[in-house]
Amino acid sequence: MKKLTLLISNKKVLTGFLILAGIFLVCFPMLDFPQKALWVRIIGYAGLYILLGMGLLIHVGLAGMLDLGFAAFYAIGAYTYTFLASTHFNLHVSFWLAMPFAGLVAALAGVLICFPVLRLRGDYLAIVTLGFGEIVRLLALNLTTVTNGSQGIIYIDKPVLFGIQFTEGYHFYYLIFILILLFVFLMNRLVKSHIGRAWMAMREDEDVAQMSGINTTSYKLLAFALGAFMGGLGGAIFASWQGSIFPDNFNLMVSINVLCLIILGGLGNIYGVIIGAIGLIALPDILRGLSDYRMIIFGILLIVMMIVRPQGFLPRRPPKLETQAVGLVKTPLQKKKKGDKK
Amino acid sequence: MNGNGQLVVFLEQLLNGITVGSFYALVALGYTMVYGVLSMINFAHGDIFMVGAYIGFFTINRLTDVGLTASNPTLAIILTFLTGSLGAAVVGVTVERIAYRPLRKATRLASLISAIGASIFLEELVRLIPTIATAIINIKIGGAAILAPQTRQAILKIVGDMGGAMVKTYPGILSNDGFVIGGLFVSYSRILIVLISAVIMVVLYTLVRITKLGKAMRAVAEDKDTASLMGINVNQVITRTFFIGSALAGLAGVMVGMFYLQIKPTMGFVPGIKAFTSAVLGGIGNIPGAMIGGYVLGLAEVISILFLPAVYKDVVAFVILILVLIFKPTGILGSATSQKKM
Repeated sequence: MKKLTLLISNKKVLTGFLILAGIFLVCFPMLDFPQKALWVRIIGYAGLYILLGMGLLIHVGLAGMLDLGFAAFYAIGAYTYTFLASTHFNLHVSFWLAMPFAGLVAALAGVLICFPVLRLRGDYLAIVTLGFGEIVRLLALNLTTVTNGSQGIIYIDKPVLFGIQFTEGYHFYYLIFILILLFVFLMNRLVKSHIGRAWMAMREDEDVAQMSGINTTSYKLLAFALGAFMGGLGGAIFASWQGSIFPDNFNLMVSINVLCLIILGGLGNIYGVIIGAIGLIALPDILRGLSDYRMIIFGILLIVMMIVRPQGFLPRRPPKLETQAVGLVKTPLQKKKKGDKK
Repeated sequence: MNGNGQLVVFLEQLLNGITVGSFYALVALGYTMVYGVLSMINFAHGDIFMVGAYIGFFTINRLTDVGLTASNPTLAIILTFLTGSLGAAVVGVTVERIAYRPLRKATRLASLISAIGASIFLEELVRLIPTIATAIINIKIGGAAILAPQTRQAILKIVGDMGGAMVKTYPGILSNDGFVIGGLFVSYSRILIVLISAVIMVVLYTLVRITKLGKAMRAVAEDKDTASLMGINVNQVITRTFFIGSALAGLAGVMVGMFYLQIKPTMGFVPGIKAFTSAVLGGIGNIPGAMIGGYVLGLAEVISILFLPAVYKDVVAFVILILVLIFKPTGILGSATSQKKM
């Protein structure tokens, strides 16, 4: 285990692995193998959860605000897209306009729900967001005139790009793949920018962050808006991919799954989200052979994982400056370098 | 409808609210005690409530088999309450031992995920018990089944009472009799349930106020390290807290089964969240607060039915929660100093 940790902490090994995995993921929908459509769907679905996971990572991993109602933003994005691009209201806005708009509406909802609870910390925020997630789902279920209730909405428009209509699973697979690449890049920049530093300072100690001149209110709102925006995007993609949405697609299990995946992957690490999503979302599908027993195994795995490795598969590596300044936390990489000098 | 009729409807809803409120209050006590002692949300608490209902169901069916339900229903009811709450207590303590204790020093998120895992595990276990039992007793050694067909039938009949995906129906052991005051029908069973809950809560409150265990619990809630320096066995206190909280949840589970008759493996989820809402409403960590919160939530829900369609009662519960958190984040009885504990 220690060796493995050392291996995955090594940047070169990690980059090499990521490139290999990337090449595999790009090529694999082009190959021919049994049950291809199913596998493209499973991995594409895991990819969708990577997008959601990165959104929630901003809330929980970077800004340290525990959010148990992430499905609300996912639902708001999905419903916004559906209202704009389906036969439901007979509006047919282009996917490329409606998707960002769905994200923006979700971001607005994020700001609205975050604003009243800014004064509160930790668990209280968790409960408010939990309640918010349930309110959104219940409204989707019961405002039948607007959302068609439990009947759901069907015939949602598919995206069209250069005259190609996205009908196959692999169209969405590549769309999600490209978005993930884009967001991994953006997130990496964000974490290193002053915004990311402010968030992490807030996560470590809010009072100290505030005294150091960080306007915690606006940074919290920003974190919530950005995370919700990504949740909204995910919702729009989900709606157009599925072609139909039902209130039950946005139940609490979605929020819990997203939270579990970022924690299993390693809180605060973008690549951890990827590992977590593949592990968590694809795992129940892989375990499908065990049919009835898969959820109980999933439950046991969550407990065992937390006891054996509570920091997740790929824990956050503290930035170099932090480790040098503190001198207490040493990454395996640094230890190795010191050994080289001797 | 005339004025008197409306009044009767209102009083009927009031009675319903007090009954539902008793259930919420009993379950909320477990949440609030655990939160008080460990500062963690025991996500599996709603499932403990469900386990209690199933153990009660199993017991009452066995008592019917031996004829006790017919000859001495009072004793049968008391025995069912006892086994239901004791069984739930044992399950609760086991969950704490396996899933929470190893994580006491880990981050709060880790124990939250572990609790979610425990919740999924319990729910799935109850759902799968007959499936697992069938698989085990059908094992064949050398082509021959190990058990005779009659034995297998008998085992399956008994195990079938322990769980399964289908809704189970309690035998109607509580009588439907009652009396009428001014056009309002009040059943004896309702009075029984409200009274038992009230008495138990008063006993619990006294226990925490005056006994040594109660003092130790409050000390651990205040500061675990200092309490252990004062010679308090912290682990033992935590185990007992889980025992009491789970026993109350199990009792509520049996009551719900006897009163509403239908039980299913997913029955713990929504009451669990609502009970937690009650605990927050009353001021989390505060025992009388949890009781008041339970009754307030139960009443608010049923009163909302008079003005809104019944489907919105869950929305009302969460909106109340959010409003309380915005305007009085410490809850109805919470102390002003609990800011730090957030």
